[in-house]
Amino acid sequence: MKDYLSPGLAKRSKGAAWAAFFLAFESIAGAQASRLAGEVDARGLHDIVTRQKARVVLVNFWATWCVPCREEFPDLVRLEKTLRPKGLAIVGVSTDFAKEMPAVETFLAKMNPGFPNYHKKAGGDDQDFINAVDKAWGGELPFSVLYDGTGKKIKTLSGKYTYKDYEREIAAVLK
Amino acid sequence: MRLTRSILFAAGLLGSILAAQAAGAPAVGAAAPDFSLTTLDGKSFSLAQAAQSHKAVVVMFIATKCPYSNAYNDRMRDMSAAYEKQGILFVGINSNKTEPAEEVASHAKQHGFGFPLMKDPSNKVADLYGAGHTPEIFVVDPQGKLIYHGRIDENYEDATKVTSPDLKNALDQLLAGKPIVKAETKAFGCSIKRV
Repeated sequence: MKDYLSPGLAKRSKGAAWAAFFLAFESIAGAQASRLAGEVDARGLHDIVTRQKARVVLVNFWATWCVPCREEFPDLVRLEKTLRPKGLAIVGVSTDFAKEMPAVETFLAKMNPGFPNYHKKAGGDDQDFINAVDKAWGGELPFSVLYDGTGKKIKTLSGKYTYKDYEREIAAVLK
Repeated sequence: MRLTRSILFAAGLLGSILAAQAAGAPAVGAAAPDFSLTTLDGKSFSLAQAAQSHKAVVVMFIATKCPYSNAYNDRMRDMSAAYEKQGILFVGINSNKTEPAEEVASHAKQHGFGFPLMKDPSNKVADLYGAGHTPEIFVVDPQGKLIYHGRIDENYEDATKVTSPDLKNALDQLLAGKPIVKAETKAFGCSIKRV
């Protein structure tokens, strides 16, 4: 094909081909680089909890628009690193609006958690999801639930907790 | 010894009351806790008095910075104006320690709120109602009974695609003298930033 093109045009064509290749590569890499482990509904979440093979599982519901969620997240990242050897697993669930997925990706890239984070499955009535997680949960964020190794719910934690608060609550289950 | 027992009983009773208050909202059908606050424009507001002089009072715990609460600004403004004509009073309470009165007033002006707004110092009213997040709604009838607790509707993202207008349904049923079919509902929201 290049035989039919002037040398300058051929050069530009080659450049365009490389650009297209890089764009495609970037697009594929970008898709693969999602920090979210997937979408989850209440039933799927329970399966994920039981699959953790940990002595205690903390599920934390958060959103990028929720300031106290953002504030406590670094403590959860640190907590999981510290207490993983003792049997703690953490699972994060973002309840962000669908249009805020880029903000979710940016937030997770910045936080770099060592635990999986899912996005609450779109559609349906949030009330059904909230009630399935815990009937006493009013929908406030952040909200966390502690499960034992068998997936049995031990305790719910409403609102923002400090590192020490979480550590104390988890230690009580690990005892 | 008797004195010690009395002190222990009193302490236990106080503990039980505090625990009950912290435990959550009053049940729908139970008496709504009365409270008095000062509105942002300096008027005193008493829930009991307001309830007696209206067909219902809609108490809304709201915020200035919460995206969920802000998603309902237009709906709160429009519903309060529409139902005021039918004898129902809407009031807004801001219990967030992080949102001062000046900010609440400016936010209300920006969004054209026509309903009375109050700051809840030390989040005492939020504690009385066990309000956990914004927006969270409590409807009180003229007898001072809580008749609805929960959300405005199920679709925070798009007011034109609401399929379950729960607060509107409850108010319409009340005005029609019918029982409220769905008196308790839930939605996500921002935790109230307590003192």
